[in-house]
Formats: sequence, structure tokens, C-alpha cells
Amino acid sequence: MVSCATLEQAGRWRWVGVMTIFACALVPAVPLLWVAAEGGGGGGAWLGEGFPGGLRRSLQVAVWVAGLSLVAGLPCGVLAGLYRFPFRRVLLALLVLPLLAPPFLWALGLSMLRTQLALPPHSLLGGLGGTVLAFCSGAVPLTLFASMLASQTLSRSQTQAARLAGGEMHLCLLAARHAFPMAALAATLGAVLTISDPGPGQIFGHEGAASQILISFAASYDFSLAARQSLALAGLALAVALPVAGWLAPRLSAGLLARSAFLAEPGASRAAGRLTLVLVCSVIGVTILPGLAGLCLPAFRDAPFERAWQEAARTLPNTILYGVGAGLLAMVLGVALALCAGRQPRLRLVALAGVFVLFSLPPALGALGIVRLGSEAGAAFDPVLRGRFPVVLWLGLRLFPIVSVFAMRRLGAAPVSWAQAAALHGLPLRIYFLRILAPWLLPAAAVGGLLAGLLGIADIGSMLLLHPPGHGSFPLAIFTVMANAPESLVATLCLAYFGLSALVLALAWALAGRISSFPARS
Amino acid sequence: MSALVDMNGVSLRYGDEPVLEDVSFSLNPMDHLALLGPSGCGKSTLLSLLAGLTRPASGKITLDGELVSESGRIVVAPHARRIGMVFQDLALWPNLNAVENVRLGIPRSLEPSRKRQADRARKALDACGIGDLSLRKPAQMSAGQQQRVAIARALAIRPRLLLLDEPFTGLDLAVKSRILDEIQSFASGQQITLILVSHDPLEVRHLSRQVMVIEHHGIAEQGPFDLLTRSPKSATMRAMALHLAAP
Repeated sequence: MVSCATLEQAGRWRWVGVMTIFACALVPAVPLLWVAAEGGGGGGAWLGEGFPGGLRRSLQVAVWVAGLSLVAGLPCGVLAGLYRFPFRRVLLALLVLPLLAPPFLWALGLSMLRTQLALPPHSLLGGLGGTVLAFCSGAVPLTLFASMLASQTLSRSQTQAARLAGGEMHLCLLAARHAFPMAALAATLGAVLTISDPGPGQIFGHEGAASQILISFAASYDFSLAARQSLALAGLALAVALPVAGWLAPRLSAGLLARSAFLAEPGASRAAGRLTLVLVCSVIGVTILPGLAGLCLPAFRDAPFERAWQEAARTLPNTILYGVGAGLLAMVLGVALALCAGRQPRLRLVALAGVFVLFSLPPALGALGIVRLGSEAGAAFDPVLRGRFPVVLWLGLRLFPIVSVFAMRRLGAAPVSWAQAAALHGLPLRIYFLRILAPWLLPAAAVGGLLAGLLGIADIGSMLLLHPPGHGSFPLAIFTVMANAPESLVATLCLAYFGLSALVLALAWALAGRISSFPARS
Repeated sequence: MSALVDMNGVSLRYGDEPVLEDVSFSLNPMDHLALLGPSGCGKSTLLSLLAGLTRPASGKITLDGELVSESGRIVVAPHARRIGMVFQDLALWPNLNAVENVRLGIPRSLEPSRKRQADRARKALDACGIGDLSLRKPAQMSAGQQQRVAIARALAIRPRLLLLDEPFTGLDLAVKSRILDEIQSFASGQQITLILVSHDPLEVRHLSRQVMVIEHHGIAEQGPFDLLTRSPKSATMRAMALHLAAP
């Protein structure tokens, strides 16, 4: 019988487990190395004529998004974590919405607003400005939430000591310093994700590297070129992500460990609460409202709700399948990685750095690899490499890092003595996992799985490359019709997507209440 | 009388850091021993070695004459040692109610059927005076009640050796005294050998006739508590003697 104490002891199985999970996530990209080695000229031609320019534009967008997210998200998040403010729940729930929707929906909204305001294409709502603003609608709230959660990990005694030392201002500065690594992580992640998302750039005529890959694959039918471009993009993402991961991993690893401290409650300072309210409303006003306004005006002008409902109903089963499948696979892999990493300091560092780097890689890398594998493999592999399963497989492999971070945090909060007590009392590992550890991990894994599912549905890049004909998702349907369908229909479809995401979120919220009061079997 | 616990030349290191070096001691059945020493000196590690949760780097541990651990090896699994342990943080599983916390702690080898396990768990909770709270989860109980659940779980397996790893930290004096009395009466009633890790002279006096002081990775001194406080050799006992002498 394997003792439960194994879960708290060092062992070679941990390294094997972590490396196996990482290898699984990277395997789909391997065929691209072979493909990239085939044909093509040198230098610019080797990557296609337009690619270097696209790469430059992508970097431009990424730097702007990272900077703006940090500048807006960090102070706002720290204040939101430290102080109570009016309408806190509603406003924070509103800020979750952009995290669940693909950035191209915001880009569509902004583009429609520009048309309604009759602004020129290269105004703030067009070209680089529009692309950055569309990406900021997700990246700023992400940084805000990361900063908020980080500042909420301060203990009551720490906040009291800071207040005594220098008042509220001093507390805010210290909390900002404390939250900076998490905010930097979120801002970098938001920036890196912009590099691999073709949507907003395509809508605003500011095509980046991801658009070039899509053009090579879907318009020029040059798979080899698309593969080389993906690898070049991955190289760039790695160049940014690796040093950031090296800097962040030790800080995050320490932050993810359990602490036996009383956490600080949000403070009730009226002035600070008002300031927080103003800042949060400003963020909502700049990142969410323009996009929503741009969508609402045409949608309610013609109100093609029936047509939009038909489109939603047609694609909903596939959308649910992709979301649920990706979420579940991400949960399994994320929890497995957290269990393998355990509390071993070096392994946690490797796991955290690894998941950050994996998540930074462009989704086209694995998606194109799976396409290649599917085209090379025999008919026997059809169920795995063609159809809807590869979509689920790749999205799960791509998004499990989200769940693993949640699960590592939760596992770190479980005392070592639980497993030791189970070992001492001869509790079989299976029972310990099912009765004690799994219910403990479930809330974190479920939140991570939900996020992974929703982000998977929103990952338009992977969906475009992998979806089988006639089995697209709802966002893909919007992306496909956006150039040809009437503006009002596109706007209504976008609003329907937001509505459905909000509904899923509300359901998950209600479910979370039940999970947290998990009943004991007696 | 042969010793119940015999630790012989046991050493342990965490990386390059020595935790315990060449520790040897023995304990007779029904003896009560208190382990004293500064924080981080290896008291809890010593309990962990006895329970089989940690492997010794060198040396041997025998229980009732049977070799249970030796250099780098656990010979007898923790659950086969018949040791009860109350952890510092109690180690109660939060999603299970009191009776399930105790029931899952009773191995199948002791009670094969689920029903008999549950009966035994309820009896243990009754004996600890919290039978009426058996359906409550740990978070729905006071610190003292949680303490009793942890003790019930440790006693439900009818251990021959009970290890108490600073379990009374944070309890008020009245509750602590009551629980100490109850443990004392269980230990004599069920003929349990007991090892207590503590920093509190009240707990030590209440439960233990013998004390062993661990300092600088080894045993600094051992003997009857009153004798050691009269002529202390270690810093720990000197501090304790001063504390007891204070008006």
C-alpha cells in the first residue's frame, strides 16, 4: 500500500510527473520543427515578406498593453484589495466580463463606435490605438485582479503595522510593492497573449505576427511558412517569458505557500473608498464601456435577435463541448502538476516557471502541430487527431497552467499534518485523495477549470486552425461572419456572447457557494 | 521490564543542516515523558521519527522489541505501529464531521466493517465528552472541542504509545486543565505510554514524571522534572526553573 505520507515526501516520481506533463503539453509542437526545416529561402523570405513588419507591430502592441495594464491595473487593484468602496461586488463582477470574452469582440465594439462617431481610421479608436485599447479591455482587469488578490494576502498585523508606521499612504505604497510581482506577471501575460491573437489587429488594420501566420495557413496554403512563423513567434515569446519567469517564479512560489496568519479585512476609510470607486469606474469607463456602447447602438437599432439566437443555438453544443472538455482536461492536468510539484521548493519553482513559459507560447504552435500530425497520421488516428477531440485536447493542454497555479495555491494551504495523520492511521491513498484532498482542491480546481473553459472558447486562434468543418464555436461564428454580415447582426452576436458568458459566470458563482459548503457524509 | 520505545544512535539531517545527532533513549511501558527544548531543536522531528513519518539517516528505533526503523529505512509502516498522535495543528480534515474524522482514522485491520468503525468512533467521541457534536465539522467547533476530536481520533485505535506534539497551544487555562486531566485518566485507564512535546511547565507537570531536554541536536539532560528544575544544567531547564520560581 502506498502511504499517504508519500504526498509530503520528496521522490523521483515528482520530477518524472512534472516533466511528463510538460512534455505532453509540448509534444504537439514537435512536428513543426521538422516542417520548419523544409524549404523556404533565407532571412525575410524564410519567414515571409510581411512577417517582420507584423512582428514589429505585435511588439509595439505588447509593450503598450503591458505598460498601460501595469499603470492602470496596479494602483486600482491594490486600492480595491485594501479598501471597501460602494458597489464593490457589482463593479468587480463587471470587470470579470472582459476576461471571459475574446479581445476581438471588444475590437468590433470599438470599431463600430468609431464608425458611429465618424472618426478617421487612424484615430485613437483605430490602428495601433484601437488594437491596444481592445487588448487592454482584458489585460487591465487581469492586472487589476492580480494586484487585488496579491494585496489581499497581506495579514491583518502587516497592514496594522504599516498604518502605524506611516498612515494610509504608507500602507498603499507598501501594498503596491508587495503586489508588484503579481501585477507584473499579469501585465506580461496580457502582453504576451496579444502577440498570439490575430483578432483586434485584423479588425483595425494593424495586422501583427499572428495574422501573418493565419494568412500563410488559411490564405496562402503554405503550411511550412506558417510553421516557421509560429516557431519564430514562439522564440520571441520565450525571449520575453523566460527572464520574466526566472524573476517571478521564486516570488510566486513563496507567495503560494500556506500562511497561518489572519488576513486583513478591507479597510473602511471613506476617502480611500471614494478614490477607489473613481479609479475602478475610470477603468470600466475606458476599457469596457466604449466597446459595449459601440455594440449596443447598432444591435438595438435593427434588433436582429432572432437571427442571432439561431446562430447561437446552432453553435452552442460545440461551444459547450469545447469549453467543458478543455476545462476538465485542464483540471486533471493542473491538479496532477500541483500534486507532483508538492511542497518541494525547487520543483515548485520549475513548475511555476514552466507553466508561465508554456502559457506564453503562441497557441498556433501546438494547433499547427496537431494539424500536421492529423494530416500525416493514418485513419486509425482520426478520432484523436481529427474532428472535435483535438480541439478539446489542445485547449486543455494549453490552458492547464491556469488550473495548476490555483491548485498549487490551494495545496500549499493544506497542512502537511493531514497526510501525516492519514499515513499514521493507515488511510489508503485512494480514500485520502477522494474523501479529503479532492474536496479540498475542488473549489480552486473548479474556478481554474471554469476560467480555462471560457478562455478556451475565446481562443479564436486555436479554434480557427483546428475546428472541423461545420463544428465551429460561437466566437468562431462571429469571427467568420464579421466581415460580411450586417453590422447590427455582428453586434447582437457579440452582445449575446457577453450575455452567455455572464450567465455561465453567475451559475458558477451560485455553484461555488454550494461547493464551499461541501457536505460531509455521515 | 523491557522498554516499549528504544531509540539507539539516531541521527537526521535536512540537507546539510543537522537536526538530531546520535540520540539514544528508552522508555518503559506506561511511562510519561515530556520533551523540552527551544523551538526548532528537533522535538517534533523526534516524534515524527517514532511515528514512522520520517526516516532516520542512521541509528535504530525499536518498539516493544520490534525493529521499526533503521538507517534510511522504515521497517514497519506508521499505521502498523499502533501509535496515536495529536498534531500541533490537530490535523483534522476540514470537510469531514467529527465522527468521520475519527472513523477514517480507524484502519480496516482493526475494524473491518464500516459500521463497526463508526460505532467505535462514536464511542471514542463519547469518551472524550463530545458525542453530541459528532456531526459537526471542525470549523463549527471551538478550539477545545476540536482538541477533543483529535484526541478521540488518536485514542480510537487503542494505541500503545500516544504522541502529543504541543497540542494545547492557544487553549485557555481552564480548558487546558480539563483536557490534561482527561488525557491523564485515559493514559492510566488504557495503560498508554505517552510522550509530550511542550514549552509549558503546567502541561509538563500535569502529564509527565520524566523530562528529556533536547538542545544542540542532542539530549542535553533527562530525569524527573522536579529534580531537573532544582539543579538545571541546560538553558531550557534553567529558564523553566526561573519561571517556576517567579512569584
